[in-house]
Amino acid sequence: ADIISTVEFNYTGDLLATGDKGGRVVIFQREQETKSRPLSRGEYNVYSTFQSHEPEFDYLKSLEIEEKINKIRWLPQQNAAHFLLSTNDKTIKLWKISERDKRAEGYNLKDEDGRLREPFRVTELRVPTLKPMDLMVEASPRRTFANAHTYHINSISVNSDYATYLSADDLRINLWHLEVTNRSFNIVDIKPANMEELTEVITAAEFHPHHCNVFFSNAENVGGRKSWHWFHVELCVLSAVFEEPEDPSSRSFFSEIISSISDVKFSHSGRYMMTRDYLSVKVWDLNMENRPVETYQVHEYLRSKLCSLYENDCIFDKFECCWNGSDSTIMTGSYNNFFRTFEREAQRDVTLEASRESSKPRAVLKPRKVCTSGKRKKDEITVDSLDFNKKILHTAWHPMENIIAVAATNNLYLFQEKVN
Amino acid sequence: MLGRGLKRKLSDYEENMAGLSSAFDSSRSLSYPLKRQLVLNMCLTKLQTYKMLVEPNLHRSVLIANTVRQIQEEMRQESSQQPVNICPGIAAASHTYTGMESPGISLQLPSGVGQQEAHCCDLRSVEDPIENSLLIVSDDDMSSAISSILKDLDFVEDISPPTCLVPTGDDQPKFPENAGLKLEDDRQDLKGAECVFGSFEISNSTSYLKDLAIDDIFEDIDTSMYDSDFCCPPLMPPRSPSLATEEPLKTFPSCNSSSANNIQICRTDLSELDHIMEILVGS
Repeated sequence: ADIISTVEFNYTGDLLATGDKGGRVVIFQREQETKSRPLSRGEYNVYSTFQSHEPEFDYLKSLEIEEKINKIRWLPQQNAAHFLLSTNDKTIKLWKISERDKRAEGYNLKDEDGRLREPFRVTELRVPTLKPMDLMVEASPRRTFANAHTYHINSISVNSDYATYLSADDLRINLWHLEVTNRSFNIVDIKPANMEELTEVITAAEFHPHHCNVFFSNAENVGGRKSWHWFHVELCVLSAVFEEPEDPSSRSFFSEIISSISDVKFSHSGRYMMTRDYLSVKVWDLNMENRPVETYQVHEYLRSKLCSLYENDCIFDKFECCWNGSDSTIMTGSYNNFFRTFEREAQRDVTLEASRESSKPRAVLKPRKVCTSGKRKKDEITVDSLDFNKKILHTAWHPMENIIAVAATNNLYLFQEKVN
Repeated sequence: MLGRGLKRKLSDYEENMAGLSSAFDSSRSLSYPLKRQLVLNMCLTKLQTYKMLVEPNLHRSVLIANTVRQIQEEMRQESSQQPVNICPGIAAASHTYTGMESPGISLQLPSGVGQQEAHCCDLRSVEDPIENSLLIVSDDDMSSAISSILKDLDFVEDISPPTCLVPTGDDQPKFPENAGLKLEDDRQDLKGAECVFGSFEISNSTSYLKDLAIDDIFEDIDTSMYDSDFCCPPLMPPRSPSLATEEPLKTFPSCNSSSANNIQICRTDLSELDHIMEILVGS
């Protein structure tokens, strides 16, 4: 199995899509509750697997284009089929996943095997009938949106109008119509005339969940402070800039690097926005631009290890974050296969581990703790014994229930709230 | 990161760096300027490593470049306040340093480096082992490291003006180095630079969103073929048939080992050579 590079629930939560480094997409479907298997409700089983992207070679630049899936975004379901967008560094594809559980039998011109019948054998005319067959799930590419990005695509986001979507690379954001593949509109371009003046790149972009003409992105390193811009799409006018004044006491050589935003997610309500940087998660109220309303330290104990983390490149790891359905809890990943959830109202947080040893089916996960002071208590883990190769970058929360999907390198873990 | 098959050699330097970064984190034994120097060295080492990659990560490069600029700014402010500091080599260099955008910077490099290396040799023998292992770097080196990495990242587009390959002395003669920080006027190096920027020229003449004209594609590929020095050589002068057959064949293994587009060009050459052979042999 390959390293999982993205995880995403669909709008109902019945389907969970994962993309991996090998360009494959695996979709899991939630089992329906049945009388014969009452305990199986909530289990996700493989529904469909397909190869979304293949490695390509750019002949003009002599570069290989990786097939790794950077992002998957579902489209809301409008008919029996499911649609999703998947992207690698350069190309976005729209896939249709449809079920087939009936087969037509009794053709006039061909046999059951499919061979053409001899015309003289056709003695009577019959109407083919539909017979049930084993469920077959087919994935077919419907659109390919290519050749619009010079740099690596890091985000795609579907608009609430369900007709357009945006794709963002390091320096540009393009707007597409789902039906049109040969044209896209460039709506943000932060590439300077002289590349040497480049001080900021785009790392995330997302449409507002309700306002179809508003999206967020980070662009413009203004005076050393990180800023977020709110754009109106029609005119592409900058509407608001969100920035937090820098705390001079916590300034270090690595302040620049650790304040780089790795993910942004709107709350389901549309009222809040969450940004993830290397050490913390910040919740912003869209009506207040001068500072975040909440800040959660994910792994503050790493602040004293920044030089080592810079040396081994871990400081560049891009962690994602997510909201639960009611926006009451947020979740993000860390190292050593740890992930953390923060309850906003209750001011409670917990650290959990996603690993085979600690995840027996149906067993409750034990909270973990990292020892920050000198004396290590029983069951605590010291900072030095953390495994920095086991990183949880991708997590997803079911849109309505308390079911979470956690990708730990090449394993996918699904956890559910225990209902007594 | 996709490398061009270049292995990172595990050297003493890397082992030292790991030890030094732990020393940094424990923050007991290193003074602030030393810590700053260590971070700076790590940044420049990373930038140098990224330069060797076929496709460096733009995000990381920009973050590291920003960190270097930040440190540079700090050091510049300090040196303007205090003429004497721990590393007089840096102070000497920064006095000659007129500004980041100044065109004279790149050209002064060789003398600049030599000058402060001389200073630092005196210094190193006196200081403790940790300082000895730190590479003292001048502002010039930092600026040109940032400049060259960011220039190399300028993959495409008709928006930016074509980069100028030879310093002309006017406002922006940033010479794009692809082999170390030395500025040499050799034909060889210029050709090497053109080879790297051959792709810039190709890309500058096309826009990703417009349909490419077939003629333009082949026109550009032809240009780069003649400019680069690892592809099939052009038509051989007429020699005795046996020699003529052997020599082109010898060049083919080198073609096969290079990238796919060269193989395409070699194939067109093969048909041309066949044609020549026919003429020579008279068949």
